[in-house]
Amino acid sequence: MLGYLARRLAMTVPTLLLVAIAVFTLVRLIPGDPVQVMLGDAAEPAQVAQMRAQLGLDQPIPLQFVHWLAKLLTGDFGHSITDNLAVLPLILERFQVSAIIVLVAVGLAACVAVPAGLVAAWRQNSALDLAVVGSATLLLSIPSFWLGLLLLLLFGLKLKWLPVIGYVPFSENFWQAMVFMVLPIATLTMIEIGVLTRMARAASIEVLRLEYVTHARAKGVPEWLVLGRHVLPNAFAPTWTLIGLVLGHLLGGIAVIETVFTLPGLGRLLVDSIFARDYPVVQGCLLFTAVIYVVVNLIVDLCYPLFDPRVTLA
Amino acid sequence: MKVRANTAIGGSLMALVLGAAVTAAFWTPFDPLRVNLRARLQPPSSLYWLGTDEFGRDVLSRVMAGAATSVVVALLTVALAIAVGVMVGVVTGYLRGWTDRVIMAVNDALLAFPGILLALAVMIVVGANKFGLVLALGLAYIPSVARVVRGTVLSIREKEYIEASRVIGNSEVYSMLRHVLPNAVAPVAVLATSMFGWVLLAESALSFLGLGVPPPAPTWGNMLAASRPYMESAVWLGMAPGLCIALTLLGINLLGDSLRDRLDPRMAHG
Amino acid sequence: MLMRRPSGAVVVGLTLACLAVMPTCATAETVLRTRLNADIRSTDPGTNRDANTDGVVAHMVEGLVAFREDTSIGPMLAESWNVSNDGKTYTFHLRKGVKFHNGATMTAEDVVWSLKRWLDPATQWRCLSEFGPSGIARIERIEAPDPQTVAVTLDQPTALFLPTLARPDCGQTAIIHRDSVGPDGKWIAPVGTGPFKLGEWKRGQYIDVARFDNYASRNGPRSGYAGAKTAEVDRVRFNVIPDSSAAKAGLLSGSLDAISALGVPDLEDLKSRPEVQISVTPALGLTGILFQTRDPLLKDVRIRRAIALCLDTAQIADVVMQGTARANNSALPIGSPFYGEVQAHGYTQNIAEAKKLLVEAGYRGQPIKMIANKRYGFVFDSAVLVQAMAQALGINIEIEVLDWATQLDRYNRGDYQAMAFVYSARLDPSLSFEMLTGPKATQPRKVWDNPEVQEMLRQSMMTDDTAKRQALFDEMHRRFIKDVPMIVLFNGAELAALRKNIKGYAGWLYPQPRFWGVSVQ
Repeated sequence: MLGYLARRLAMTVPTLLLVAIAVFTLVRLIPGDPVQVMLGDAAEPAQVAQMRAQLGLDQPIPLQFVHWLAKLLTGDFGHSITDNLAVLPLILERFQVSAIIVLVAVGLAACVAVPAGLVAAWRQNSALDLAVVGSATLLLSIPSFWLGLLLLLLFGLKLKWLPVIGYVPFSENFWQAMVFMVLPIATLTMIEIGVLTRMARAASIEVLRLEYVTHARAKGVPEWLVLGRHVLPNAFAPTWTLIGLVLGHLLGGIAVIETVFTLPGLGRLLVDSIFARDYPVVQGCLLFTAVIYVVVNLIVDLCYPLFDPRVTLA
Repeated sequence: MKVRANTAIGGSLMALVLGAAVTAAFWTPFDPLRVNLRARLQPPSSLYWLGTDEFGRDVLSRVMAGAATSVVVALLTVALAIAVGVMVGVVTGYLRGWTDRVIMAVNDALLAFPGILLALAVMIVVGANKFGLVLALGLAYIPSVARVVRGTVLSIREKEYIEASRVIGNSEVYSMLRHVLPNAVAPVAVLATSMFGWVLLAESALSFLGLGVPPPAPTWGNMLAASRPYMESAVWLGMAPGLCIALTLLGINLLGDSLRDRLDPRMAHG
Repeated sequence: MLMRRPSGAVVVGLTLACLAVMPTCATAETVLRTRLNADIRSTDPGTNRDANTDGVVAHMVEGLVAFREDTSIGPMLAESWNVSNDGKTYTFHLRKGVKFHNGATMTAEDVVWSLKRWLDPATQWRCLSEFGPSGIARIERIEAPDPQTVAVTLDQPTALFLPTLARPDCGQTAIIHRDSVGPDGKWIAPVGTGPFKLGEWKRGQYIDVARFDNYASRNGPRSGYAGAKTAEVDRVRFNVIPDSSAAKAGLLSGSLDAISALGVPDLEDLKSRPEVQISVTPALGLTGILFQTRDPLLKDVRIRRAIALCLDTAQIADVVMQGTARANNSALPIGSPFYGEVQAHGYTQNIAEAKKLLVEAGYRGQPIKMIANKRYGFVFDSAVLVQAMAQALGINIEIEVLDWATQLDRYNRGDYQAMAFVYSARLDPSLSFEMLTGPKATQPRKVWDNPEVQEMLRQSMMTDDTAKRQALFDEMHRRFIKDVPMIVLFNGAELAALRKNIKGYAGWLYPQPRFWGVSVQ
């Protein structure tokens, strides 16, 4: 187990290096540059050249990469071109917002989706199944920017239960912060229920067909016990992988939801920075999300044997 | 085996979508690009069945034309992601060892980018057009497919019949093709149908964030994104493409389920 | 629900606090909450800035002179000024009793220090190049003969000296206290003379500006960035809300008091709401279709002219801006004092003539790629309408949507066939032409390369004589319409929606909101 962990951690090093190279290259491939964005439609060429030099953007790209990497190894992610803030604290601050929404929403979604999928699979091709699949598909097919706005208009504007805009950090006031988080979490939960229900249903169908289920039933084991003890844990394994994927991706930013609900999260930071060509922030964010992703999936893999004892972490 | 209700519903929904897409190639009630400034934001009527948009273009015609673009983009993207992803997943999951480690390191590196944002960046580089969209979204989804397939393969390869196949002297490649691939079909089919939906939606999310398939081609995604400011005053603008996406997804999911049942080797005697 | 009501303990606490400091609690603090679509870049005027930054910073700092409502130049921190006979020396007489936010009184020394700081390359002032070799003039000397007088000497006379000082994107060449920067010269925060001072800035969330109690207001009415400025609210909060639908919901729910830079679709919707008032002001921005006159196809003026003649610009302006802006084919904005009879003559839709030109030019449906973006809804909508109208004549325009930064890159390199573009506001007519015309060899972003016009432009910059300038601008307009380097469609409008209890708001030609003289009832 520990040996496996050590090897997996060692393996993340090349992954992260690859990510760093890919991030840097991708960012420089994008046309346009931060100086032009800043100067807008009145950019004197001399002025552009001078500002590029000040930002070090006139140096050869491999040299820029080496500088960035060298600083990175000392823990320095650089400073934002847009507002000159240190990148790492900025990312960590924004990450809190995204992480809370994602973790709560995916957790809630899994609690609904796994049982729903199981029940649908159990009564496959019944009206109940069709209803579950239908609702999941409907949830899956509403864009988050639509669902989010719909909830905003309903609960914020019509019913006036919840605030429409604004944000309070959790560190300042937990309950007030939660008030602002309800709608984004609800939006994401509904969408993720759609994703996870279908996966849980498919996995459960697989398991229900296995011989030991038939065997258990033949032996007269009550149906609820069959579902609870035999089907659920086994069906959970592939769903668990998917939850890992979903978590890893969502933690990288829920840009659309953050935009709709005016939350200063990581996803919005990344989108804004891409559009502003704020290279240090884009690079920092992408690298950071890569690290998060790797860590989440490592945890997922470490948990895998818990659900499927046949897989060993060799 | 009797034709199940699910298959029938799924089949008719998909037939409807494909029918609309094919019909649109020859005929639509109005030219989907024809701007008519005297008929802006008309609610549904006997002339404009689904109303008109902010430029007075007929929504029904645009939804029909959009079916072709959206379905083609989604199919191509899913095909690209599945083809590459399954290959990578099966190979790494079955072989393990160093091949697995190296390829999965690259895969994880790709996977580690948030999909929609990777797509956004790729779109900026290759340009906001259909080709760029397929490439951007395909690239974003390949690693997910690879990882899910690999996970399935990892658990299947421990099963008795694979062991048996190996024990009786079948080659690795043969074992893989004969036993592992068919078993990976089920999770991939589910993933593919989910992905189909993601693509339709990712396109509208990209439109929302500022990039997407530009006119003259209407797509459901960019129609949906463009309708957002009119959500309260002209709700039909969003309803039409939104319902199209939902029904297409439902159709393809139901069909996907029955497809899986047929392809699944264990169902043959089940 | 349970979080919306303050708990008993909090109420008691607040009551006790009020008893302790009665005067401040007696009248609740008035806050005006408005919206920015993106965070500002810095609080340093005219350096690390964009339009939002200029708009917020203008509440906190002021320059010697400022633009009035009609884009003429009015006094701000200078009471008056004289220009020497050779037109090179400007002597500014400062207003007495002007206080900085830290309580210090403004003197000539502060003015000299501020001006010298702007001219130091290390400051990275956006407008430094205007006073460099390719700019309007060099500054030779800045002197303070007495504590109330500052003299600036240029190397050549120019009509653009004061307009440049007043430019909002130059940070109005703000006069700031030296405490604004640290001992190392690094920017800390603006210690200016404006009616508001910097409050709390939570990046990505909001920036507050608070009333400056010792503000010395000018007399006379509020006019542009000049005239009287009185802060009638205690605090203005600029909330960063990127999504316009969310902002609209915020206004309707009462979480926001004002939204400026409103999108046209939102305007249509908000018009009918009883709790909302709308402010529509013509603005100076310029939306149009740019052509690359070096393109193999579009270098033929007949094709460019044909496109211009097939458009119904009045209808485009009307549909895209929903009646808030008028069509205009001139490079000068309608609000400019130099906009007259001549400028009103643009293109008139003439399908027969356009068809004839196309035949003469031998056009056979070759595709024309037109770049557009979705950052500005009205630019994108204009592109769609131009495409549709050109299509009716068989002109095959393909729209390519890029993100704004990519489009800017293509614009700056001149790498396009056609593009739908929006120019930001220029407050002086010479500058309106300067943004369009220039040698493409050294400035590829310039859309109109006509040496004769460039000479006229140079002359217009040298003279203060209004009649002479008007004659030059009239002639330049005629050439502009004849050459068709671009088709100007309309000038924008500053659209704002406010709740009914907001009084005193008014937009002006420069499309940035002003919150002095605005009160919450």
